[in-house]
Amino acid sequence: MKYFDELKRSMEWLAEDPRTVFIGQAVEVPGTAMSNTVKDIPLARRVELPVAEELQMGMTVGLALQGHVPISIYPRWNFLLLAVNQLVSHLDKLDIMSNGGYRPKAIIRTGIGSERPLHPQHQHIGDFTEAFRLMCSTIEVIRLDEPEQVFPAYEKALLREDGRSTLLVEWGDFYSEK
Amino acid sequence: MHSPFSLIAFEEDIAAEFNAGKIRAPVHLYFGNEEPIIEVFKQIRPQDWVLCSWRSHYQCLLKGVPPQELKTEIMEGRSISLCFPKQRVFSSAIVGGVVPIAAGVALGIKRTGEDARVYCFMGEMTAETGIAHESVKYCRNHGLPVTWVIEDNGKSVCTDTKSAWGLESHWWEKELPSPDIIAYRYKSKYPHAGAGQRVQF
Repeated sequence: MKYFDELKRSMEWLAEDPRTVFIGQAVEVPGTAMSNTVKDIPLARRVELPVAEELQMGMTVGLALQGHVPISIYPRWNFLLLAVNQLVSHLDKLDIMSNGGYRPKAIIRTGIGSERPLHPQHQHIGDFTEAFRLMCSTIEVIRLDEPEQVFPAYEKALLREDGRSTLLVEWGDFYSEK
Repeated sequence: MHSPFSLIAFEEDIAAEFNAGKIRAPVHLYFGNEEPIIEVFKQIRPQDWVLCSWRSHYQCLLKGVPPQELKTEIMEGRSISLCFPKQRVFSSAIVGGVVPIAAGVALGIKRTGEDARVYCFMGEMTAETGIAHESVKYCRNHGLPVTWVIEDNGKSVCTDTKSAWGLESHWWEKELPSPDIIAYRYKSKYPHAGAGQRVQF
């Protein structure tokens, strides 16, 4: 299967778990390439949020504390930068700061902005994968370079029982090229 | 059940331990808010969540954490971000950290239909931040079960909150009484952190 098809298949498989909820901008409505990967998931499982990146990541943490498995969607790394406070100081530290008491699980989706056929310029194409691997103590950061990586990575993110959340990085250009 | 006397006595015990150099981490002690915080907890039920900042000893005690269990955590250096899943207490040492988390917990409660509510405590400087405005707005407009408890001691560490923002009044002061905000002022005898004596480790 192609890269996009693997992503869409993965999202629909995640949606089969009643704990999951998809949150972010353009999850209930069109708007980004990622929107198309969740468009066939029932609307009741998707929560359209305002543009408020830190609020979204805090809500991701809160939903996870309450027993949900949020799939929190940030279409580009550069947008996720606005949520780093909640990602690094809370989602990544919950297990540590609670001495193992809280072990919630969240799935964060982000992307490296596509450069073809339109180049969005340099505030939209960041790839901060290595930087976030260095900043995070417990969150596993997985960059999805090939189509065959996609489903196993999302499967691991949902099924893992090690108290870690997962940050998955997609390539915008591969939606149409691989 | 805790009384103002028992709460004050707990903090004085922790202050003594800190000043004796037995706690090798920051502590942030309460004083002066005993009566209003006890009043708030009269409406908080076991299934409700309590989210706090770095200053949370009173909330932990009033939510039912056994004093000795709480003291053990404090002595081990975790006063700044006390977490007790059994009592549904979550604290963070980041300004505004718990505020959007409260929104997420409340959204989770609403989606599952659980009979529970979130009580999110914050200081008046936190309540003036952008993330607090976003979180309160979102929860109000979506009918999420959150009560915001604003504890106003007039300052953030040593910074005067109103002066720093150029405020004559806080935004919530014009809204009280409010269905989702409880606010009170208090004056502490303790500094922002520590217990008033320099401790050389």
